[in-house]
Amino acid sequence: MTETQGFVAGVLLLIALLVYTFWPENVSASQLEKTRLDYLLERKDQLSENLRDLNFEFKAGKYPEGEFEAQQAQLENETARLMVEIEILQRA
Amino acid sequence: MAAFGSFALLIALALAAYNLLAGALALRLLATGQPARISPERLADTARRAGIAGFAAISAAAFALVWAAFTNDFSITYIMEHSNRALPLAYKFSALWSGQEGSLVLWAWLLGAYGFVLRLTHKTDVKLYAYAGAILAGIQVFFLVVLNFAAPPFALLRGQIPADGNGLNPLLQYPEMVIHPPLLYLGYVGFSVPFAFALGALMMRYPGEKWIKITRAWTMVTWLFLTAGVFLGMHWAYAVLGWGGYWGWDPVENASLMPWLTGTAFLHSVMMQEKKGMMKSWNVWLIFSTFLLTMLGTMLTRGGLVSSVHAFAESSIGYWFMVFMVIVAAVCIFTYILQRDHLKSEQRVESLVSRESSFMFNNLVLLAACFVIVWGTLYPILSEYIEGAKVTYDAAWYNRVSVPIGLFLLFLAGVGPLLPWRSTSFKSIRRNFVLPVTALWVAVIGCLLAGVRPWHNGAFNLGHFYALVAFGLAAGVLTAIGSEFWRGMMVIARQSGRNYFWSVLQLVRRNTRRYGGYMVHIGVVIVVVGLAGSAFNRSEEKELALHDTLAIGSYSLECVGFTQDSNANYTSDYALLDVRKGGKMLFQMTPEKRVYLVSGQPQTMVAIHSVPGWDLYVVYEGTNPDTGQPIIKAFLNPLVSWIWAGVLLMVLGTLVALTPKQWTVNSGQ
Repeated sequence: MTETQGFVAGVLLLIALLVYTFWPENVSASQLEKTRLDYLLERKDQLSENLRDLNFEFKAGKYPEGEFEAQQAQLENETARLMVEIEILQRA
Repeated sequence: MAAFGSFALLIALALAAYNLLAGALALRLLATGQPARISPERLADTARRAGIAGFAAISAAAFALVWAAFTNDFSITYIMEHSNRALPLAYKFSALWSGQEGSLVLWAWLLGAYGFVLRLTHKTDVKLYAYAGAILAGIQVFFLVVLNFAAPPFALLRGQIPADGNGLNPLLQYPEMVIHPPLLYLGYVGFSVPFAFALGALMMRYPGEKWIKITRAWTMVTWLFLTAGVFLGMHWAYAVLGWGGYWGWDPVENASLMPWLTGTAFLHSVMMQEKKGMMKSWNVWLIFSTFLLTMLGTMLTRGGLVSSVHAFAESSIGYWFMVFMVIVAAVCIFTYILQRDHLKSEQRVESLVSRESSFMFNNLVLLAACFVIVWGTLYPILSEYIEGAKVTYDAAWYNRVSVPIGLFLLFLAGVGPLLPWRSTSFKSIRRNFVLPVTALWVAVIGCLLAGVRPWHNGAFNLGHFYALVAFGLAAGVLTAIGSEFWRGMMVIARQSGRNYFWSVLQLVRRNTRRYGGYMVHIGVVIVVVGLAGSAFNRSEEKELALHDTLAIGSYSLECVGFTQDSNANYTSDYALLDVRKGGKMLFQMTPEKRVYLVSGQPQTMVAIHSVPGWDLYVVYEGTNPDTGQPIIKAFLNPLVSWIWAGVLLMVLGTLVALTPKQWTVNSGQ
C-alpha cells in the first residue's frame, strides 16, 4: 500500500466512523435517576438471598439452633423495616 | 500501511477525546439540568458511539501493524526491529506485543475491545455506563496520546531499508509466548473496567451496591485472564529460561503479581459490601489501587524503569506513565474526599471470629504481600535515587518474607468458609473445625513418617519446615472445603431423595459463585502443594562424553549421541539421552541449544519429562570450550505438575463462578 493509498483509506475510515458517530437517531436511551424505591427493592432481594443462605447453612449443620434463630430474627427484622418503607413509597 | 496505521491512530485519539469531553459534558448537563442546544441524552449517545467507532479505528491500526509484519514491511522501524523474513507466521503475529510500541497498541486495542462490549450493553444502567464509558475514554486518550506522540508504532526507518529485519527476541520464540502476553494484558487492561465503574459510581453517588453486581463478571473475567497470564508466564520461564525454576522474583514477574493480589482482595471484600453493605471505602480504594498497580506494571514492563529478563522494550515513556498515574491518583483522591459521606458502612464487624473478620484478615494479608512485593520491586529505584547506589533484594529475601504470608493466607482459606456470618460461638467452632484440624495433624504426622522433616543431621532446614506446614495446612483446608461440599450435598440429597452426584451438581448450580469459589480455593491449595515441592529440588551437572551417564534420583541418563539441525530461522544442537531406571530403558530426552541466525543469540530448549510426583528437567548447557564436550544439567523437581493442575482447577472454578446460579425447588429454599 503506497502512502497515497494509505491516506485515502484513512480518509474513508474517518468518514465512515464520523457518519456512524453522528448519524441522527430519534430515540436516545434515557438516563433515569435511580430512585430510593429501586434501591430498597434491590436491598430486599439481597436480604432474601442472605436469608436463603442462612437457612441452607443451618440445614447443613453449620449453625447451632440458638445462633441461627438470632441471625434469622435480625435479618427478618431488617427485611420488615424495608418492606414498610417500600410500601409507603409505593403508595406515594 | 504506515500512513494508514498512523492515520487510524490519530482518528482513534480524536474519537476517544470526543467520547471523554462530550460524555463528561452530557453528564454535567444532566446533573445540573442546565438548558442546552442539544439534548444531553443525544450528546451522551454520540459520545458512546464515538467510543465504539474508536475501537474500529484502533482495530484498523492494530491490523495495519500485523499486516506490516506479515508482509515484511521493513520500512517501519518497529517491524525491522522485531521481525524478520524467516520468522514463522505465529511469531510474526506475536511481534505485535514483543516491543514497546506494539504492546501499547495491544493495550489500547484491548481497552477499546472492553469498552466496545461495555458501550454495547449500556442499557443495563444507562447513566452508570455513561460515567464508566467516559472514564474508559479518559484512559484511552492517555494511551493514544503516547502512541501518537511518544512511541509511534508506524515510525519510518531513516535511510536505506534493509533486506531483512533484526528478528524477534529468541526468548519470545516459544509457543506460549503467542498467548501469554495477550492473556496478561487482558488481565491488566480488564481492571480498567471495574475501576471505571467504581469511580463512576462514586462520582454519581450511585445508590446501593448494584454496580458491584454489574461489574462482578467483568472483575472475575479479568482476574481469570490475569491468573492464566501469570501462570503461563511461570510455565514459560520454567520451560525456556533453563534455570530449573519458574519464579525468580523478577521485577516484571512481580509487576504482574501486584494487581493480582489486590484484585484477589477486591474479589473477596466486595462480597462484604454486596451482602452486608460494609467496607465501601476499602473496596473503592482496593480497585483504585489495583488499577494504579496495572499502570505501574505496564510502566515497569514497558517503561524501562527496571532491568529485567522480561523487559523487552525499555525506553523513556515511563515518565508519561508517572504523570498519568499522578493524575489518576489525584482524580481518585479528589472524588473520594468529595463523596466520602456516600461510602459509610451500614453495619460493623460484630466479632473477631466471623466470616466478616476472616475476609478482613484475608484482605490485610493480601495487601501485606502486595506491599512487600511493591517495596522489593521499587527499592532498587528508590535506593539509587536516595543513596546513589542501586540495592536489589534477591529471591531469598522475597521468599523469607512472602512464604510465611502465603502460608497464613492458606490458613485463612481454610478457616473462612467454616465461619458463619456476624459472630460465632465456641460450640460452633468446635463443630466445624474438628475434622479439618484432625486432617491437618494426620497429614503432618504422615509427612514426618514419610521423611519430610524440618531437621536433617541435627540441622534445621527452614524450607523443609515450610513445606511440612504447607502440606499440613493443605490437608486441613481441603478437608474444610470438602466438608462444605459434603454438608450441602447431604441437605439436597435428603430433600430431593436423589443420588449424591446429582445432589452435588445441584449444590453447585444453586450457588455457583460460592462453590465455584471453593473450587478456586482447592486449585490454590494444589498450587501451594506444588510450590512446597520446590523445597526438595535436586540438580546435577556433568560433562557427558558419548555413553557417559549422569545419575539423579532413581534415574540414570546415558548420552547416546549428539546431533545438529537447522532451518531458515535457527541452527540447533541436540543431546540424545537415554533415561533408565533400575537398568530399564524408559524414554529418550533431547535437550536442545539453538542459535538464531539473524540475531546470533543462543536459546535453551529444555527437555522435561513430567509425572505427578516430579519433573525430570534436562538442560543442554553448551559445550566446554577446552574439552569440546557437552555439558548437561539435570534437575529433579518434585510436584511441579501439581502447580499446573491447580491452575487448571482455578480456571475451571472461576468459569463455574461466572455461570448464573439457578435456585432449585428441592434444594431447601
